[in-house]
Amino acid sequence: MLKKIECFLQPSKLEEIKDKLVKMGVEGMSVSEVKGFGTQRGYLEEEKINKKVKFLPKAKVEIVVDEEIVEEVIGAIRKLCAAETIGAGKIFVIPVEDAVRIRTAEVGKSAIY
Amino acid sequence: MRGKFNPWHMTLNQLDEVAREINLDESIHQILRYPKRCLTVSIPIQMDNGKIKVFTGFRVQHNVTRGPAKGGIRYHPSVTLDETKALAMLMTWKCAVVSIPYGGAKGGIVCEPRKLSLKEVERLTRRYISEIISFIGPERDIPAPDVNTNPQVMAWIMDTYSMDVGYSVPGVVTGKPISIGGSLGRNTATARGVMFSLMNAAKKLKLDLFEKTIAIQGYGNVGGNLAHLLSDEGYKIIAISDVEGGIYNPKGLDPRKVSLALKESGSVVGFKDADKITNQELLAVDCDVLVPAALENQIDEDNADEIKAKLIVEAANGPITPQADKILEGKGVFIIPDILANAGGVTVSYFEWVQGLQAYFWTEREVNLKLRDIMQKAFDKVYRISEERKITMRKAAYILAVERVAEATRVRGLYP
Repeated sequence: MLKKIECFLQPSKLEEIKDKLVKMGVEGMSVSEVKGFGTQRGYLEEEKINKKVKFLPKAKVEIVVDEEIVEEVIGAIRKLCAAETIGAGKIFVIPVEDAVRIRTAEVGKSAIY
Repeated sequence: MRGKFNPWHMTLNQLDEVAREINLDESIHQILRYPKRCLTVSIPIQMDNGKIKVFTGFRVQHNVTRGPAKGGIRYHPSVTLDETKALAMLMTWKCAVVSIPYGGAKGGIVCEPRKLSLKEVERLTRRYISEIISFIGPERDIPAPDVNTNPQVMAWIMDTYSMDVGYSVPGVVTGKPISIGGSLGRNTATARGVMFSLMNAAKKLKLDLFEKTIAIQGYGNVGGNLAHLLSDEGYKIIAISDVEGGIYNPKGLDPRKVSLALKESGSVVGFKDADKITNQELLAVDCDVLVPAALENQIDEDNADEIKAKLIVEAANGPITPQADKILEGKGVFIIPDILANAGGVTVSYFEWVQGLQAYFWTEREVNLKLRDIMQKAFDKVYRISEERKITMRKAAYILAVERVAEATRVRGLYP
């Protein structure tokens, strides 16, 4: 089964993550600059949180992989993202019903790898 | 369940206490105080020396109101009918806490498996199953592994039952080898459930587990797997033990290396890079989280005062005596009770049964995620009850379980 790993991360970590995931056999990845907030309501660790919720710049990374390597990919991202710091981000795992490579009409896992 | 107490009376006391706490309807209380069925069987088998020896076995179904009975089969010299009844009742509560559609059962054979050959164990298993065969089945009562029984024994049970009915019935037993319908993730299920319980507790108690130290008593299927799972998450384990004794290193232990030492020397004590301690010392180690994953009655009124951990996860069944429980409660120790903490095993047994009935099998990831979901829901419910009523997690878990079984009994009514 294919899964989409959608993460919201600190933009500064992107290059490292890209290199590491490519080494792990991830064949494609999309990145967008987004703004958002999470549990920290948009404040940095050293700031005092007040009532006003703020947006912080984040990188949204989308990767579709085979279910088999989901845990491995999550582990690698966590390791590179300084998992212990507040505001490091979030990772969502989403089921993917199917994938199609447009040029060849390959489907499923073959469309990804 | 061994030791100075009659386990059946202990479990009845526990039920009576809960019944008082929730003002349980007297008639339903009466029904729950009795096991539905108790079967005692004589099991004659031919020993390897040609002589015939007769063993005694039991199968008890405590309650089947919420679904078929479910529970392990143990091979041990100390097996008694009272112990089997007590464990069957505990299974009723355990299945109800995690809300899986089963009642409780337990079985056992009075024997010393170390003194039996593999062939003798096989004959013992097959004849025992033949004796209880009209009692069990995928819709009636589904056995599982327990003390001294393993996937091979489950395979013999599946085969004996299937031969009797004339077709293969994987759903008659769980904990089977993968090749005949076992579930992925079943082997690590209890440990994984214990880990989820610990993480759920940490979240509620606002503990950062990365800064906490963990001690685990027992390094078998539960303790050993748990050590590996926790270490993979990045948590720090400072003490580990098995029957031979324990090891302690405040800087942390790597279960991979400990398992290597275990393989070479036969015990975790063979691991060099740690201080040697006894099992009793392990319980008193200066740690934040203590996980008793060995035998019952390990923490009693004599050593409860020495425990320094603020959080105890009962991976084993009944590791804390009722007296010790009161002492620990007085000290403000947060205890995740056995019927919640180690319910991961029966939960994935349930998944195995479901997969067997559907004849469609899930990936290990699916199994683990579904297990996590069930453990989370059960923990949240129990925690909410303990907060609302200002009672321990143990009492709260029993209340949740007894209420669920009582409600099922009430709506079904009395036959005829």
